[in-house]
Amino acid sequence: MVIAAAEATFLPRERFDALLDLLREGGRTVIGPTVRDGAVVLGEITTAQDLPGGWQDEQGPGRYRLTPGHGPRLFDVVNGPQSWKQHTFPPRIPVATARRDGDGGATFAPIAPDPPRLAFLGVRACEIAALGIQDRVLTGGTFVDEDYRSRREAAIVVAVACTRAVSTCFCTSMGTGPEVREGHDLVLTELDDGFVIASGSAVGDRLVARLPGPRATAAQVGAASAAVAATRAAIGDDAVANEGLRDRLMDKLDSPRWAEVADRCLSCANCTMVCPTCFCTSSTLRSDLDGTVNVAQREWDSCFSTSFARVAGGNFRPARSDRYRQWLTHKFATWYDQFGTSGCVGCGRCVTWCPVGIDVREELAAIAPPAMPVGRVPPRPAAATTGRFDVATLRAVGPETADTKTLRLVPGDPALLGGIPGQFVMVEQPGLPAFPISASRYGETELFLTVRAAGPASAALLASPLGSEIGLRGPLGRGWPIDRALGRDVVIAAGGIGLAPLRPLVDGLLADRDRFGEILLAYGARTPGDRLFVSELDAWAGRGIEVAQIVDRSDPGWVGRVGVVTSLLDQRDFSRRPSVAFVCGPEAMMQATTRVLRDGGIPEERIFVSLERHMECGIGLCGHCQMGPFFICRDGPVFSLAELGDFFGRQGL
Amino acid sequence: MDAPRLPRIGVVKLASCDGCQLTLLDLEDELLAIGERFELVEFPEASSRRSTGPYDILLVEGSVSTPEQAEHIVELRARAKRLVTIGACATAGGIQALRNWADEPTWRASVYPSPDDVRSLATATPVSEHVAVDAELPGCPIDGRQLLELLTAFRVGRRPQLPDEAVCMECKRLGRVCVLVAEGTPCLGPVTQTGCGALCPGYARGCYACFGPKQAPNVDGLSRWLAIERSTPEVDRLFAGFTGYAPAFRDSTERAVAAMQPPARRRRRSNGEAG
Repeated sequence: MVIAAAEATFLPRERFDALLDLLREGGRTVIGPTVRDGAVVLGEITTAQDLPGGWQDEQGPGRYRLTPGHGPRLFDVVNGPQSWKQHTFPPRIPVATARRDGDGGATFAPIAPDPPRLAFLGVRACEIAALGIQDRVLTGGTFVDEDYRSRREAAIVVAVACTRAVSTCFCTSMGTGPEVREGHDLVLTELDDGFVIASGSAVGDRLVARLPGPRATAAQVGAASAAVAATRAAIGDDAVANEGLRDRLMDKLDSPRWAEVADRCLSCANCTMVCPTCFCTSSTLRSDLDGTVNVAQREWDSCFSTSFARVAGGNFRPARSDRYRQWLTHKFATWYDQFGTSGCVGCGRCVTWCPVGIDVREELAAIAPPAMPVGRVPPRPAAATTGRFDVATLRAVGPETADTKTLRLVPGDPALLGGIPGQFVMVEQPGLPAFPISASRYGETELFLTVRAAGPASAALLASPLGSEIGLRGPLGRGWPIDRALGRDVVIAAGGIGLAPLRPLVDGLLADRDRFGEILLAYGARTPGDRLFVSELDAWAGRGIEVAQIVDRSDPGWVGRVGVVTSLLDQRDFSRRPSVAFVCGPEAMMQATTRVLRDGGIPEERIFVSLERHMECGIGLCGHCQMGPFFICRDGPVFSLAELGDFFGRQGL
Repeated sequence: MDAPRLPRIGVVKLASCDGCQLTLLDLEDELLAIGERFELVEFPEASSRRSTGPYDILLVEGSVSTPEQAEHIVELRARAKRLVTIGACATAGGIQALRNWADEPTWRASVYPSPDDVRSLATATPVSEHVAVDAELPGCPIDGRQLLELLTAFRVGRRPQLPDEAVCMECKRLGRVCVLVAEGTPCLGPVTQTGCGALCPGYARGCYACFGPKQAPNVDGLSRWLAIERSTPEVDRLFAGFTGYAPAFRDSTERAVAAMQPPARRRRRSNGEAG
């Protein structure tokens, strides 16, 4: 978000009612987020007390919960089930009357719009985009929905820039947020102690001029921008590959996936009801008992209604798969042909409020996968350019196995501590070639790298004295998608040193243990002495993880199982509950393991592997790590089996 | 010229609780207007005046549960120009249709002190299994607005507007918060026909499908999700209620009944507890 300091005002949170009073002048009603029935809905706001202060939301496919937040923030709850179309395009309104006048006469009259004067408070960037789309659909053509237009014109839009996101958010993929850029009168960004408020229109200018707060300081404006940027990073931008999606989707009208999703879809229309851009309606009649006075009502309908495409002779979309295909192709493809834009703004409501948790992001990836997955830009990597390195200081070295040690480095740039589990860093020592190493833990002040002496550069690193300065670039690449595990059972399968890139994932799961189902760690190593993190394995077992271990070759002290990792998994049924798998180890081990997991009932979209290839630049420029259509460093190293398809395990690629 | 003859309405019942026909009396604001436009020739809940027909509209409540009712409904059909079934019993068999999976004499013996005094069929079935039906108003009880729309549509000459979509759509239009998503409460709204005004979710309860299945419901899809993703115990039993005999719910009800204990054992156990 770009806010010039001179334009922005700072309003302390305790003065928030002053803004509400301004908005309510002249009898205007303020509509905003408020807590009702375990969710945040849109209701009348008369004081800041009506806002969901101190609450946060947790959202996932088919799941929504309010949880106590941290501190008194008023707008920490993202989108609730209701979009603003509730007020711009109400669910049911009378639109016309038709009267029989006797002697065969008739009078037809539209019902004139009578829009309430509203201020919409807390409109998110995705919602503003949705209003813009409905503007095009309902007022941008030859014929105009007068009721909608009048409601839009009568409303003031007070936006809130998102300083928090939930797992269902994907505005970044659709190019609609989280930054609020246009279409608003005011935009608020919430900080710990108040709001940075900027105007986006003449109406907004007049409101800002009368706000009691002081001009926002450069530090406050900077904090506001940083908070929204952090939200962008948290969402990532790889949920939906929107580029070229229209053509890819329209090429897949015969995909077998339509029937498969129809097996799960209830055709209940919840997705279209909560969608902020869906505009399909039906007309219903209300008549008096004689049919003299008849009122036509417009009410929300849906392409998921069985009767929506019915004519006298039959139904044009009789099957559930027809109706699901109609919705998805309209929203993400033919909407472009009709209105010049996607019909999706990435608000994620259809994912959260689907009663059976169907996730459009997964369906799109399965039906119309991009030719190449979109590389996830790591959150603020330190020193990303080739040849530039952050300087980190070696603070501690601990032995793991005969040839492997864990190094603890204090980076100069804290961005190195903010990586995603599964991401890697490029390690550089003067005069030695750079090499990639996955982070094996992100500490408060230290980055943990678990390194095996495999060549001169890694051997030199392990031999470095404490206090040595090491060059680092990263975190780089695409890590483990931990959000896909929310509410699901988790299988982690590791082979040998492959446990190292998985340890930050375990840390992440344990930090939020309640939000995941059962967790199984299946760990195989050549010998008992080749196991990493031996003391932690026991600790994890005591913290809600089932730890199963196996070794190829026993030694005198070993009382556990002997064999290969797959034998820890092949008797299990993963189809009884939704599961996600994360696998890392030698490629042959990953092939065998993923086969067992797939046979056990985990879909390919939810089995993730981390691939190893020769890397030099780590940022997709040098060409070393190509595999088929992928640069492993940029597009991976973590991939789902569905993304890899036939490329996974093929020799000589 | 004489005033045109008013359409003659009859209201009759088979095996039922009378709650649905009372919905007509509950239309208090419209009752006088209805009385001016229709002749209520048979409605024992409202008047001791009786008529055996013919009827322009016959509202039939209740399921066919006794040998007499099976004969009676055929006679009623012959005397009705339009026969409209009202309520879960008449349209789907009702709660009493759960006996269709049970050994009827055993149940009867476990309930009544003199079971031989009771003459009932082995099954309780919807009217549509016996005679042709012109329209159906579902629900336990039916919705007054739908009844009014039926009468209005008859007068105006249009097809009654009785939506066959999911309860969810009305829930969302009314701005309700989904109890399944936000509370984890099992709710049959996604597979149930709307028309009730989404009553139960409005009181933070899950829908129990008293309006019966919507058009082409995905019962298996919802059941799988509730059982596997939401760890809901005994999902099949959710369907084994007022409309459990509706064809779309029948498989679920059958599994639920099969999992239940036979009545004789239940009876002994409750006696033991009481003693």
